[in-house]
Amino acid sequence: MKRNLFVYVLLICTAVVAVVPVLWGLTTALKPKSEVVTYPPQWVPAHPTLRNFGVVLRETSMPRYFANSLLIGVGTVLMTLAVAAHAGYALARLRFPGKSVLAFGILATAMIPGISILVPLYALASKVKLYDGYTILILVSTAWQVPTVMWLLKGFFETVPRELDESALIDGCTRWSAFYRVILPLARPGMAAAALLAFVFVWNDFLIAFTLTVSDSRRVIAVGLYQYISQYGIEWGELMAAVILALLPVLIMFWALQRHFISGLTAGAMKG
Amino acid sequence: MKARSGVYAESRARIRLFAHPGRSGNFWRRYAQAYLFMSPAVVLVAAISLYPIAYAAYLSLFRTRYLERLAFVGLGNYQRLYLDSAFWQNLSHSLLYVFGSLLLVLPFGLIVAILLNQPVGGRGLLRALIILPWVISQTIIALLWSWLLNPDFGPAIYLLQQFGSAKLTLLSDVRTALPTLIGVNVWGSYPMATVLLLAALQTIPQELKDAARVDGTSRWQHFVHITFPFVQPTLLVATILLTLLYFNMVTLVLILTGGGPVGATEVLSLRAFKEGFDFWRIGFAASLGMVIFLFNILFSLLYIRLLRQESLQ
Repeated sequence: MKRNLFVYVLLICTAVVAVVPVLWGLTTALKPKSEVVTYPPQWVPAHPTLRNFGVVLRETSMPRYFANSLLIGVGTVLMTLAVAAHAGYALARLRFPGKSVLAFGILATAMIPGISILVPLYALASKVKLYDGYTILILVSTAWQVPTVMWLLKGFFETVPRELDESALIDGCTRWSAFYRVILPLARPGMAAAALLAFVFVWNDFLIAFTLTVSDSRRVIAVGLYQYISQYGIEWGELMAAVILALLPVLIMFWALQRHFISGLTAGAMKG
Repeated sequence: MKARSGVYAESRARIRLFAHPGRSGNFWRRYAQAYLFMSPAVVLVAAISLYPIAYAAYLSLFRTRYLERLAFVGLGNYQRLYLDSAFWQNLSHSLLYVFGSLLLVLPFGLIVAILLNQPVGGRGLLRALIILPWVISQTIIALLWSWLLNPDFGPAIYLLQQFGSAKLTLLSDVRTALPTLIGVNVWGSYPMATVLLLAALQTIPQELKDAARVDGTSRWQHFVHITFPFVQPTLLVATILLTLLYFNMVTLVLILTGGGPVGATEVLSLRAFKEGFDFWRIGFAASLGMVIFLFNILFSLLYIRLLRQESLQ
């Protein structure tokens, strides 16, 4: 019992450390301007207000940036899943010459650091006239996600019993329809984990968007937030409201789908 | 049961016949589908990861003006790096940043994972709260903390003042900027170690733990002889992932300190970013990118060797 209490105390302390910075952002967002800049700092807003959120949503371009992030996120998820699922299936089920070279070749590209190829990507994007467009952001995000997602899905396909493909083939399915109609639906949890991984990557990405786009109409959330802080005279209340709004979708997804997040991470994905 | 497996064996044989129509079958017809399934992934990573790294290697051999290649200089850019005292400072900041963060994140992440692995009620909620920073982007981590550490209104500063310190400007003091940056990075990345290690802890068989309890092992013995050997490989994997993450990190540093004050937090990756996208010295930036790439390979090889040694034991 005593031991349990000790564990509790430590866990609660850690939870507080984890949560407090976000809570401080939240209370700041709920304060009127005069309360934001008080010292010593007040934890609970005396006159809570949603004004900051109103300003962010109505008077800034943040909604536009949200829409851009959403569009690029959805595009990247769809493309990543399509590309990685086919490759993952071929690796899990088909036999062909050069298979391990291709598998490890693709996986090895996940080891190329983003910062090392941003300059060439910028040059490449300018040359092929994709600079400052949605397409290039989707392409680059997808290419950076494909190796790990492919590996993740390969693992999921391998857990689907082979007999299922085989009986589908015997029943006269082609490999294609065995894949689309039988295997893909069964690998749904894997697809969900992969989709989350890719979406959160895009939603959180700053570097790709910052270096490959320039105009306001193409700006994504992370870059929008950065632009805000690099201006003179930051309105912290408004900035924190924007931060909380940017955080909300990811937090909701995280808490609703924790299991998928964790299976995605244990596949080991990161870049950027 | 036997009859069933008999049916499967027979059907497998039939499929094999079906899928591999004799050695005489046309190569492409036989494998077309596999290559078709692989091709989008191959094309994409070739165009967007392999070609750019090769192009970076090529660009790093030129003196450039914006995107224009002015003159082939061989290893001139690398020589410039070698002679540049700022480069060595950047590198030492990077190494301090990486190993300082690891030194804090690994033990802390492991302790939290062990605590979360105890059978206490409300564990799910606590876990969800504790690994929260994991999903927060570097951009937002930087913004939240620059507000927490704000020298005029930040509660972190207020708290420190209560303990008698003078009013602190942690991020704009040359001595405290890098340690503070490391602290913020630790906050943002310990959940990754925790999640990985927690998964490893959950693979320890219950019988083993029970047997240890029956034998009356102390908690310390339990840790040394049971827990640690089980998590050691995962610890190494976490070390690899985190080392690469920290070494290549740009966003958090750029937004929190921008490399300042007077370069005190300018790590190698941030320098590469600035040379490229602030000063547009493309060739020079490419050579920095290549150095970073080589360090990545070096770290990975080193750790993989350790990992292999361990699995041989």
